[in-house]
Amino acid sequence: MDIELSQQDQDFRQDVRQFFADNAYKAGEDYAEWRLEWFKKAAEKGGWDVPKWSPEFGGPGWTPTQHYIWEQETARATLPWDMPFGVGMVAPIIMAYGNKAQQDRFLPDIRARRVNWCQGYSEPGAGSDLASLKTRAELSADGSHYVVNGTKIWTTAAHIADWIFCLTRTDDSGKKQEGITFLLFPMKQDGIEVKPIITLGGAHSVNTVYLTDVKVPVENRIGEQGKGWTYAKGLLQHERTGLAGLSRSLVALEGLRDNARSVPRGNSTLMDDPAFRAKAAELEIDLMAAEFTELRSLASAAAGAAPGPESSILKLKGTEIQQRIQKLTVEAGGIYSAAWGPKPVGNSFAKGGMAGYLASRAYTIYGGASEVQKDVVAKNVLGIKRSSR
Amino acid sequence: MNFELSEEQQLIQDSVARFVQENYGLEARVALAAKDPGFSTTHWQTMAELGWLALPFAEADGGFGGNQIDVMVIMEQFGKGLILEPYLASIVMGGGALKRGASAALKEEILAGVIDGTYQLTLAYAEPQSRFDLHDVTTSARVDGDSFVINGAKSMVLNASTASHIVVSARTGGGQIDESGISLFLLNADTDGLTREDFPTVDGLRASELAFKDVRIGADRLIGEVDKGYEILNATANDAILALAAEAVGAMEVLYKDTVAYTQEREQFGHPLSDFQVLQHRMVDMFMEYEQCKSMLYRATMEAAAGDPETAQRTIHALKHIVGKYGIFIGENAVQLHGGMGMTEELRVGHYFKRMLVIDSQFGNADYHLQKFAA
Ligand SMILES: Cc1cc2nc3c(=O)[nH]c(=O)nc-3n(C[C@H](O)[C@H](O)[C@H](O)COP(=O)(O)OP(=O)(O)OC[C@H]3O[C@@H](n4cnc5c(N)ncnc54)[C@H](O)[C@@H]3O)c2cc1C
Repeated sequence: MDIELSQQDQDFRQDVRQFFADNAYKAGEDYAEWRLEWFKKAAEKGGWDVPKWSPEFGGPGWTPTQHYIWEQETARATLPWDMPFGVGMVAPIIMAYGNKAQQDRFLPDIRARRVNWCQGYSEPGAGSDLASLKTRAELSADGSHYVVNGTKIWTTAAHIADWIFCLTRTDDSGKKQEGITFLLFPMKQDGIEVKPIITLGGAHSVNTVYLTDVKVPVENRIGEQGKGWTYAKGLLQHERTGLAGLSRSLVALEGLRDNARSVPRGNSTLMDDPAFRAKAAELEIDLMAAEFTELRSLASAAAGAAPGPESSILKLKGTEIQQRIQKLTVEAGGIYSAAWGPKPVGNSFAKGGMAGYLASRAYTIYGGASEVQKDVVAKNVLGIKRSSR
Repeated sequence: MNFELSEEQQLIQDSVARFVQENYGLEARVALAAKDPGFSTTHWQTMAELGWLALPFAEADGGFGGNQIDVMVIMEQFGKGLILEPYLASIVMGGGALKRGASAALKEEILAGVIDGTYQLTLAYAEPQSRFDLHDVTTSARVDGDSFVINGAKSMVLNASTASHIVVSARTGGGQIDESGISLFLLNADTDGLTREDFPTVDGLRASELAFKDVRIGADRLIGEVDKGYEILNATANDAILALAAEAVGAMEVLYKDTVAYTQEREQFGHPLSDFQVLQHRMVDMFMEYEQCKSMLYRATMEAAAGDPETAQRTIHALKHIVGKYGIFIGENAVQLHGGMGMTEELRVGHYFKRMLVIDSQFGNADYHLQKFAA
């Protein structure tokens, strides 16, 4: 055990910082162009556009420490807008379970961010109990394509996505986890209707997606028919480890303290209020521990072990911390956190703070609701066997 | 000691409950909140006709001589529908200051209109730097002959966009955070030099930022004595806290009951969600804290009505603390237990949750009152 960063790691951090500085967005630039260019330059650095991909597919093959450094640095820099569904979610599935033709077809566009993806898993009747999903995919008589019918819900970004990766049911004769098939298809085609769902802050990010006789060629099926659940489960693991957001939370906490310094409180500022200080300190302490939980988990993953028990709590702890930071931001906003006009009232952060807090309530719902995650930890990590249910 | 409502209070409770039931479904509320003036003038008139606006005013002023308990009865029912009409702003806040401090002439001039709904009041007390301190006042009122000249700014003034009159706290003496040296004035909303910026609040209500530039006002519009406004302001704020807490308790009841109902309907893993023990316990926690808040509400309201301000003051701090803390706790968990549905604007719980957040930010949040209580 040694807490010092090696010279190599320190150089790496320097290199990352330099890269971010050299390629930062400049006012006036065409954003979309800059964005694609940024990813191209990152690719030239040797897979910096896809840090988590394995070297076989063009990833950088970093050590856990390098991943940690990258996460820390990205939390501070302004990176181009990106969504997790392509590079972070569907690509690992295609790499692990797709055939060579599918890898050649999909991965380059995903990597270059030319194509936006969305995740069609949840359904009105299948949330936490995802395996009970009912969207039907019927193989045509000639075996050339599936016909898909059903409803997906909570599909983030479906209204701007080009493609969807979708869990469908091809067989309901056996266990519900069997008979699920993993399909990819374009969003802009007949038979797909996307209806917005407005969430608490008034934002539109999630949708209901109605699928009516959507034709999907069999070439777009990942792996075998009926094995989709196995593939998706591997992906869910990926999704969860990405959701802790600890470095971003540390930066957010710093921002919160800065904001608190700008809030008058009698003759001093809110940052001088002992109760407020204590809450911020509690958050920092939890984050310090969680950061090392994450490092331990990265290290055991790098050693080739299955994700250690510590990884199972990262999503739970990380999202709880994010929510607490958001809540404390609302408290810091004071009387102004209620203001909800088109422009901020009173101070610059209160409105964003309220919006962020409301949005953060979903963090413990999606990607495995906390109550269900804890069930999984109890069963798989603590080894608790239940006598019934 | 007796927790029974009087026959009259029972009648009012029933009639308010019926009004809420009939008029304040989620869709109706959303529609009212979305367009100006942000509430229903018809409902406001109904409330006047049913005597609800008269309730807490003295009989001599045309009211029914009700106390904090009577207001609690109304506000708790209002909380179940998240009523948009400016009862709190006009009757409890603005009206509360007037009934405590206004001269007989001023009362006579204004209160009849407040009670019949033609006038609408509000109270402008918060300032950009004041956070939750009522006594942090920099808006100044300078004596000039037999009038005062007001300069400064007021923040987050509830329902100011529709108010006919605004009660304003201003400094006539002392330093920025002194309790003495604060005076209260009754301003006509269209007075020269008073400008407003109106906006919605996250819970669907309306508020405004006010700016005062050389606003001239006659000494006869003073409420209470010069420099002695804080006592009136604080007593009015205490009534407002009691009213808000009653509303919060009504809203908490909706939040926990909707959650209990939803988890029994929604099935996952072949079971109603309510079969899962962790959710049962969470809902018991929600219920428990709701009951605790209700108990504290009764305690504080009864003490205030008994006319023992010192005892009541401490309990009011305690009340605002737990209502803020547990109101948000209950709201967060109502959303959590509804899963994705809880995050939408389509169900009630999200709206009630947002109201809990705003109630915590009004008249001092949970932390603020904990510190006051501990001090
Ligand atoms: C903002 C947002 C974005 C989303 N984006 C996507 C997306 O892009 N693609 C996609 O496919 N899905 C997406 N989802 C859906 C998300 O994955 C589901 O909301 C989640 O799986 C929970 O399902 P549910 O909403 O049906 O809640 P339910 O499963 O009905 O759960 C409701 C409550 O019951 C609890 N519960 C359920 N089962 C148990 C149990 N066995 N024991 C104890 N407690 C239990 C849950 O923890 C929760 O608190 C998104 C959701 C949100 C809110």
